[in-house]
Amino acid sequence: MIPDYIEPRVAILSQLRRMESGSKAAGLPELPSPVTHAEGASLAKLFGSKLEEISGSCDILDRAADVADRIVELVKDWSAEDGDATADTNDPQPIEVLSWSPKELPLEGLKGFLKDSGISLLVPDDLHDESWRARAARPSIGLTSVDAAFASTGSLVLAPGRGRSRAASLLPLRHLAIVPMSRIHPTFEAWLATLRREERLSSYLRVSGQIAFITGPSKSADIEQILTLGVHGPRTVHALVFDDTR
Amino acid sequence: MRVEVRAPYRTRVRQALADEGLRDALDRATSHLSERRERAMAAVDSEALRDQARAARNHAIEHLPDLLEELERNLLGNGCQVHWARDAAEALGAVLDIAQQHQVRDVVKSKSMVTEEIGLNDAFERSGIDVVETDLGEYIVQLAGEPPSHIIAPVIHKRVEDISELFQEKLGIDPTIEPADLCAAARSELRSEFLLADMGVSGCNFAIAESGTICIVTNEGNGRMVSSLPRVYVAIVGIEKVVRSVEDAMLLWQLVSRSATGQDVSVYFSMSSGPRRRGHTDGPDEMHVILLDNGRSRIMERGYGEAMLCIRCGACANICPVYREIGGHAYGPTPYSGPIGAVITPLLEYDVTAARELPFASTLCGACRDVCPVKIDLPQLLLDLRSNVVERGATSRLERTAVAAYGKAMRRSRPYHSLARLARWFGWLALLLPPLRAWSRTRGFLRFPSKRFRDLWPERVRHDEDRTAE
Repeated sequence: MIPDYIEPRVAILSQLRRMESGSKAAGLPELPSPVTHAEGASLAKLFGSKLEEISGSCDILDRAADVADRIVELVKDWSAEDGDATADTNDPQPIEVLSWSPKELPLEGLKGFLKDSGISLLVPDDLHDESWRARAARPSIGLTSVDAAFASTGSLVLAPGRGRSRAASLLPLRHLAIVPMSRIHPTFEAWLATLRREERLSSYLRVSGQIAFITGPSKSADIEQILTLGVHGPRTVHALVFDDTR
Repeated sequence: MRVEVRAPYRTRVRQALADEGLRDALDRATSHLSERRERAMAAVDSEALRDQARAARNHAIEHLPDLLEELERNLLGNGCQVHWARDAAEALGAVLDIAQQHQVRDVVKSKSMVTEEIGLNDAFERSGIDVVETDLGEYIVQLAGEPPSHIIAPVIHKRVEDISELFQEKLGIDPTIEPADLCAAARSELRSEFLLADMGVSGCNFAIAESGTICIVTNEGNGRMVSSLPRVYVAIVGIEKVVRSVEDAMLLWQLVSRSATGQDVSVYFSMSSGPRRRGHTDGPDEMHVILLDNGRSRIMERGYGEAMLCIRCGACANICPVYREIGGHAYGPTPYSGPIGAVITPLLEYDVTAARELPFASTLCGACRDVCPVKIDLPQLLLDLRSNVVERGATSRLERTAVAAYGKAMRRSRPYHSLARLARWFGWLALLLPPLRAWSRTRGFLRFPSKRFRDLWPERVRHDEDRTAE
C-alpha cells in the first residue's frame, strides 16, 4: 500500500520542479565567512565579560580543585537566598541539585566532595517516568558541563546523552555550568569551521537528538519591552571556567 | 476600543487610529525595537552579513525541491516521521491523527506563526484537546482571546496595566504592575502545563537539509521545553524554511536575533534532529515533521518568490509608518502583519476579501526595504500586487473611471491646461465634493501656488533678458 503522504508529497515536489528554470545560479554561494567580533586578551575573560553583559555571571578559576569549593559556596548562598528550607536548619538535609551524571562532569571526585559538604546530586534516569519527573521538577539548581562555549557571544553548547539530561539546564531556576577553558572558542563561526574541517559537523547534530545553544538566562521583553529574566528556563546562568590546560 | 480583526479593513483602521492607548504602546515598542536593531547591526559589518544571508536564502529557494528531498531523507534517517501537506486541512489532519494515535489530551505550543496560519488551536479545541500557548506574549493574547499583533512581539498592543487586569481576572493574582511579578505568575502556571503535556508543537525557524535538523529560536526557553519534555514533538515547517547547511542556519540565527530584538544571538537556539536516543534521560519518544505548502509553491509560481526569503524578524513592521500607527490587528485575521504581512497575506489567499486592500496599506516609503535583513524589495512587491489588483479589475468603478479620465486628459494639451488651472482650486473642491472627499479625508493637501511654473518661466526669461540688455 502506498502511504497516504505520498500524494501530497508528489504534488508539492512536482509543482516546485515545474517552475525550476534552467538558469539556476551555478554552484553554491560562498560559505559565510566568520563575522569577526573583538579578539585578543584571554578567551576566558572575553567569554566571562560577554556572559555578564547579557545578565549571566561567571567565575574564572585557576585550578580544577577550586571549582568544587566554589560550587559549594554558590549552592549554599543560592539555597539561603531562595529560602530553601533544607539549607539552614539544625537537621541538615542535603541540598539536592539536579545534575548530569558525575561521569559527565569534567572533575574527579566531585560527587563525594559535595556529599561531604551537604549537597547531593540528583541524576534522573527517565523523565517520562512520573515519579522521576516529579522529583526532577523540585531542585532549584541544575549542574552541567558543556561541549563548547563561545567568547564572542557568551554562549554554551550542550548536547544530551546518557547521564546528560536536558532538564538539568532547563527546569531549575539556576543553572551552574562547568566550562573547561579548552572548550572555549573565539566565535561560533570558528567552532563551526573546526567541526566542518574535521567532518564531524553533521554527525554531531544527528547523533544526540538535540543540540542546545544557551546564551545567558531565559528572558522576555513581551510586556512593554521591559526585560524580565527566568521566564521558563533558568533566571541565573553561572559559568565556572577553570584552566584545564595546565 | 479594541480592533475587531474580522471587521472590514476601513473599520479596523478607524478603530486602531481611535485607540490612543494602542498608538502609545505601538509608538514606544516599535521605536525601542528599531533602536535596538540599529545598534546591533551597527556592531558588525551589516552589509556583508545581509548579503551573505540573502545569498543563503536565495540558494535555498532556488534549490527548493532538491533541498526538501535531502531534508526528508535526513529527517527519516534521524528517526523522525515526515508528513507532507498541500494545505491547512492536510496539515491539521496530520497533526490530529498523531494526537489521536497517542490519545493526546494536553498540548503545549511555542510561538509559531505557521500554526496561526492554519488555525491549529481551533482545530485542537474542536477535537476536545487542550492547547496552551507558552510564549509569554502568546499566552497573554490567548488568555485575552485575541490573535497576536506582531510577528515577534505578539502582545505589543497591550500595556502592562491591561495585562495585569487580565491576569487578575483569569489567574486570580493580586494587583501588580511589575512585569517581573506577572512573568512569575505565568512561569508557575505554564510550568505545570509543560510537565503535564502529552504533546509539544512548534513552528520552525530553519530546517537544515544536510543534517535533517529543525531549528527554533527563542529567548524564554519554551521552544526547548516543547521539544524536550512531552513524549511527542511535532514541528510544522513551511517548505520555504529549508536551508542548505548548518553554517547557513547559524548565520541566519545571528541575523534574525540582531534584526528582531537587537541581540547578538537569541538566548536559546534549539537544534532538534530526532527523538531521544536509546538510554537518554529526556527528549521526545517521537518526533514528527510536517512539511507544509499551503500556497507557498503558488506564490513562487506567480513570481513572488522574493517574499519567501523572509526570516520573520519583524523589523519591517517596527520601521513602517503605517504599522506604527495602526498595529497588527488592523491587518485583519492574519498572523502576518506589517509590510511583509501586506505582501504574503493576500498571496496566501488568507481570507481573500479581508486581505485585498493590504497592499495599499503602505506609503511605499522604502524604509522596510532598507532594514530588511535579507534585502527583500518590499515596495516593489507591494506595487506588483497593486497592479494585480488593478488588472483583475478589483478596484471600484469610480476609481477606474477617474484614472481612465486622468490618463486621457494627460495625453492632450488642452485638457491638461484646463486641469492644471483647476488644480489651484482642487484642494478646496476635494474638501467639498463627495467622491473626492473620501480621498481627502485621510490625506493632507499641498496647496497649489497661484502661479504655475509655465507662467513663471516666460516672466523669468523676460526678466533675465532685460538684465542682459542693461
